[in-house]
Amino acid sequence: MTISQSELVADLLHFVQSRGARHAEVTSHTDLLESGLLDSLLLMDLILHIEEVSGIRIEGDQVNPSNFRSIAAIVEFLLKAPVPQGSRSDRR
Amino acid sequence: MKWPLVHRAVPNRQIPLFNRFYLHASAASQVDPIMVWGTEIDADALQTYLREQNRSARVVLTPAHALIRATALALTQFPEMNVRVVGHRVYPFRSVNIRIVYFHRKNGEMDLLMVQDANLKSVEQIGLELWQRLLQAARSEGGRDRDLARLRRIPAFWFRQVFQFYGLIDRNLHLPSWGRLDASRGGCATVNDLSFPGAPPMRMYKATRFPDPADSLNVTLGPIENKVVARSNEFISVNVMPLFLRADHRFVDAQQAGRFLSSVRNLLSNPKRLDSEMDHSDIITGQPTREHRVTTD
Repeated sequence: MTISQSELVADLLHFVQSRGARHAEVTSHTDLLESGLLDSLLLMDLILHIEEVSGIRIEGDQVNPSNFRSIAAIVEFLLKAPVPQGSRSDRR
Repeated sequence: MKWPLVHRAVPNRQIPLFNRFYLHASAASQVDPIMVWGTEIDADALQTYLREQNRSARVVLTPAHALIRATALALTQFPEMNVRVVGHRVYPFRSVNIRIVYFHRKNGEMDLLMVQDANLKSVEQIGLELWQRLLQAARSEGGRDRDLARLRRIPAFWFRQVFQFYGLIDRNLHLPSWGRLDASRGGCATVNDLSFPGAPPMRMYKATRFPDPADSLNVTLGPIENKVVARSNEFISVNVMPLFLRADHRFVDAQQAGRFLSSVRNLLSNPKRLDSEMDHSDIITGQPTREHRVTTD
């Protein structure tokens, strides 16, 4: 499976927006932490979803606010992360 | 193999007679020693603290991390509550270890994590440890998950026999903990963060006692709710979170339980204190009513 940056943004936006009415207006630059939209349950689901679609393994010390502040920040973090061999993704 | 409890029980003379009535009551008398006390905390203060911390912290912090730290600091202040009952005796724990209930993504069920020495760790250190272990559990990595998988494979009949026998000896004998699964016996308090989005307003909550005699206390935080209150002769809108304590009358009375809960409440309502040095007199106005002498042998 290959996934581009724009597809990754769209996928994560859809994942977060489908969480409920409060999340429906989220954009890629919405500050998820300041707005209080990113609770621990959503964050955990988001991490597991990211690992599934990108093949990138996220460690506990990478669950930091700068990496998960917004969808744009998450994608930026993923683009910098090393892609494991045999990954399901091929980021372009 | 570890010994979570100190070797010497609290001497009978140090246990108030009122508590001893509960401690030595026969099963036939059907005494229920469990008491529950509910209060509220200032949610705005906690949310502001977490927002500020999440601008610079090394890890995303949540109310659960603050709750663990607050409970650990309160137990440091009230060591007479950091105990469990074995047989008809009360034993203090060697350290302040806090269990937290969490949803195990991979298994689709609840599980427990133990934060060791939570009173000696910052909110950030607790957050980092929990995220690492939650991710590990979500991937079914680590020894505990392998042990849980083995436990699930035990036929129901043998599961019941083993569980009942283990419960019998654990209730009556001062035992070490020797495995990953029974390491959760190493602390007296369980915390529960039920402030998840979509949770209904919490008017009352009685946490059940996990079938583990070490589970002496439970501190539960509920969801944010908006309320109108009167302050300085005017009505204002504030956000609050319910906070519930389940305690055991065999070693604590209602006054102590109230002071302990007040300490947790004040820490969560003034969360900057979670990161400051422990200062007993600064946390609550009251003083611990009594202390068990903890023998470290």
